Amino acid sequence: MAEADDGLVRALARIAQGDRQAFAGFYQKTHRAVFGMCVHLLRDRDEACDVLQETYIQVWHHAGEYHCDRGSVQTWMMSIGRYRCLDALRRRRYEADYDSVSDRQESSAPGPMDNAGNQLDRQRLNHCLKDLDERYRSSIEMAYFRGFTHQELAVAMGEPLGTTKSWIRRGLDVLRRCLDT
Amino acid sequence: MKPDNYERNHALAAEYVVGTLQGAARQRFERWMMVSARVRRQVWYWERRLQPFNGSLPEEAAPKAVWNSIEQRLFPGTAPVASRWWQTLTAWRWSTGIAVLAVFALLLWTPSPPVVTHYVGVVQSQQAEPLWLVNASVDHRLSVKAMPPVQPADGGRDYQLWLLPESGAPISLALLPTGGARLQIDLSDQQVRQLLQSRSLAISLEPAGGSPTGQPTGPVVYQTRLVQM
Repeated sequence: MAEADDGLVRALARIAQGDRQAFAGFYQKTHRAVFGMCVHLLRDRDEACDVLQETYIQVWHHAGEYHCDRGSVQTWMMSIGRYRCLDALRRRRYEADYDSVSDRQESSAPGPMDNAGNQLDRQRLNHCLKDLDERYRSSIEMAYFRGFTHQELAVAMGEPLGTTKSWIRRGLDVLRRCLDT
Repeated sequence: MKPDNYERNHALAAEYVVGTLQGAARQRFERWMMVSARVRRQVWYWERRLQPFNGSLPEEAAPKAVWNSIEQRLFPGTAPVASRWWQTLTAWRWSTGIAVLAVFALLLWTPSPPVVTHYVGVVQSQQAEPLWLVNASVDHRLSVKAMPPVQPADGGRDYQLWLLPESGAPISLALLPTGGARLQIDLSDQQVRQLLQSRSLAISLEPAGGSPTGQPTGPVVYQTRLVQM
């Protein structure tokens, strides 16, 4: 386990025992990545703040449930936040206007949750995405990054619902076979 | 749902994580996750595998009020914890520094798999409707796919794509396709460098055939920023 993630696991163990100090430090170290993802998915900072709050309340109550089969602490954290964002998107059904991503600053420097394992995972995913049929790849990326439903994908891509459903399903199947090799 | 169907459950787990498993089907799957360790492991598999997607997104500090609200909800009526400066700053810097050194050491001492990097941008309307998908790769090629709903602009005008460098004037890249068409743009070395730095693109409405001046003359109607995959 990488040094950075090892520290986060120790922090989670202390949070599970009710250590508020560890919880504050954990929030400081991890919340930027979760908040950045929420802002990107929801395109609404107020709603992203609400989801971030709910995410860390869940972390406080369920820190003891983390284990390494879930992946890195980063993966676990981001999954909690992502599912809450998806819930918020479904409730809202895209009522909010698009907030351009152009005003956000992106850092290329390694963040606290970056580690060597993440880099290798990213290279592997990139490699498999590159070989994926573009229709499959676009469908998966739009669903993942924008939270599009099958129906919304069908409208956006001008294809029958069954076709976009099939693209997502086949794309993920091909992706899995590549990732497992 | 057939709970004993491994392949079917893998497909459902993938769509659960991507987010396209919806409504009653999503709720049924969540109930099945509660009773099946194997299904939970399938979901964790996809969470781990797709995590690099999240790593490509820009990080952003949340307003201080969020942390205050979390503390008030969890620990009402108690004083906020004082941060341990050595824990939150120095120790973290050291551990981050060690982690970065470890990454460099790994990169130096282990054979590197081929690095494949590409960038993705979705140009969307005010109603969040996707209009153009932009894919850029380090092999100097930018591909733009127009979504079917994108119709030619009124008055015979054209949509023109511009690279917005970190400094200096916009650089014309191409007139954009409409109605589901696709376009490949070959970039020069300098344009690739500028795009990697700024990752910013803009689209303006121009007279038929493109801007007569080499600079945007019509309104900039869309902007997008590429995210690294």
